[in-house]
Amino acid sequence: MKNLFAITLGILTAIGGFVDIGDLVTNGLVGARFGLSLVWATLVGLIGICLYAEMSGRVAAVSGRATFDLVRERLGPRAGLANLVASFLVTGLTFTAEIGGIALSLELASSVNYLLWVPLAALLLWFTLWRVKFTALENGSGLLGLALVVFGVALWQLHPDFGSLAHQVVHPHKPAGEGTLTYFYYAIALFGAAMTPYEVFFFSSGGVEEHWSRKDLFTARLNVFVGFPLGAALSICIAAVAALVLKPASISVDNLGQVALPVAVALGKLGLAVAILGFVAATFGAALETGLSCGYSVAQYFGWQWGKFVRPREAARFHLVVLLSLILATGVVLTTIDPVTVTEYSVVFSAIALPLTYFPILVISNDRDYMGDHVNGRLTNALSSVFLVIIVVAAVAAIPLMLLTKAGQ
Amino acid sequence: MSDQPAGRVLDLNLHLLDRQVVDTEGLLVCKVDDLELEPGENGALYVTAILVGPRALGSRIGGRLGRWIMSIASRQATTPPPRIDMSRVRAIASAVTLDAHRADLGVAPLDDWVDRHIISRIPGSRHESE
Amino acid sequence: MKASDFIGREVRDHEGASIGVITDLRCVQDGPLRGGAALLRVDAALISTRHTGATLGYDRRPRQGPWMIRAAVRWLHRELRVVPWSTIAEHDGVLQITTH
Repeated sequence: MKNLFAITLGILTAIGGFVDIGDLVTNGLVGARFGLSLVWATLVGLIGICLYAEMSGRVAAVSGRATFDLVRERLGPRAGLANLVASFLVTGLTFTAEIGGIALSLELASSVNYLLWVPLAALLLWFTLWRVKFTALENGSGLLGLALVVFGVALWQLHPDFGSLAHQVVHPHKPAGEGTLTYFYYAIALFGAAMTPYEVFFFSSGGVEEHWSRKDLFTARLNVFVGFPLGAALSICIAAVAALVLKPASISVDNLGQVALPVAVALGKLGLAVAILGFVAATFGAALETGLSCGYSVAQYFGWQWGKFVRPREAARFHLVVLLSLILATGVVLTTIDPVTVTEYSVVFSAIALPLTYFPILVISNDRDYMGDHVNGRLTNALSSVFLVIIVVAAVAAIPLMLLTKAGQ
Repeated sequence: MSDQPAGRVLDLNLHLLDRQVVDTEGLLVCKVDDLELEPGENGALYVTAILVGPRALGSRIGGRLGRWIMSIASRQATTPPPRIDMSRVRAIASAVTLDAHRADLGVAPLDDWVDRHIISRIPGSRHESE
Repeated sequence: MKASDFIGREVRDHEGASIGVITDLRCVQDGPLRGGAALLRVDAALISTRHTGATLGYDRRPRQGPWMIRAAVRWLHRELRVVPWSTIAEHDGVLQITTH
């Protein structure tokens, strides 16, 4: 039973990382416009996040230190500060998107305008961040988020030609009527949605919160290799049902309801209700993750006591940062900026910020001073080096592509 | 510092600066923001204390940003820059361990202020949530 | 004096030409006892033409992976020198290597 609960950290991170508002929107949108021709980008992102999370989980288990803690040691205070500012802004942007996502999901469930849900969502988030135990947080969100499996059920119920679907994945073919630049822009968006930086802050800090040690390495790896592929599979299902239902009808996705529409078509009202439950759980879980990550990164740069494993009074500055981030993010959502637009930008900026945290993790997981004998093996290093190149290419290409395609129009 | 062999070689930037400082119970204290160096006999230079806080960190960040941080911190400061004497350091490994309790060190005035004025006023702050 | 007063400072040779910046201070723990252990004594300065990547550790540890990063950092710090501290003196705010 303990093992079952142990893998929920991975599932929470996966749900939050792979199926947060960024993934719901991006996969739905891409499925409706590009069919399954961009699934390869999700799969590449899956390999990347597995590598990245395994390294940072191993660092947490062996050295007892979380990611950002070590970023300053290895990059120095100047580069570390630049890294902190960029990471904090991107994580804050994602936090804003997730809060918007919670409100949009509650609007879907109730037909009450999303803006009215925002203060309630913020209050509930604060209460959970302040009082609920870390493990309860993981277990609750992780298990409820599995409701998103309804997308897999919907896919099955639609009786697609799986052979033809598989062909689209393996022989990606950019649809006529879409530009090549736009195609690659969305590849980067999917990649950024899959490999968001905060996932790794959260995963490694969570490992320290749970007091992982060397004997937890197996659990950490189980989290990664069960949780993230599950998340990727769910993402692909979301894209697939959109490709089957929305694309033929030329329905494009610009709100959250359209992402759930294929489930309503396949499974009726009950399916829709389950999907909405999944949306609420996934966005709430991701909001918790990003909120805590805002606090983790700042506290770990400055060396402040952080974490939910001590009394709030012992980690006063950490909790203050989390509270201020929550207030700021909520404030931005309340300016009535479209949460779906915020989401689309947050995934692209995540791709841009990725090298900043990936590079130090790669260096640290090779450092014998912290890792002893648990440094990266040759295969891990070879794959990780390839990914470093991919990540840098994606980060550098993102802004030009965004400008040239006017953010994917 | 009884478990360090004499003659041990350390590179300050690689092994000591920016390391996490941990107290005797394992609580997180601060980072090694800078190090105090003092000349001793025969003109040799010795590392005598860990320097903590925005004034110390600003000096390491350097450039205009660093100087700006230092000037703001100096204007607001009511106490001299916090320092931890090297005699309190018990071990230097992946973190720097002290032989004192965090509360006795007086290196985190901001944390105490935030705790007193903000965090402790919110209900539930006395209990661990884990 | 502080460590930050020296790290990042340019050093010149005895003819006045720049040989790089101090990226690290190598210390030996053989100073007077304080609190039951010996103080760290500054023994040498590590000087390189560039400051970037000085704390990554690749320039001083054999065989740290991954290969790509190690090669890049080694190249950046290919002119790393270890200069005894006793040979460095400060004249008019400039650090210079003396010949003794």
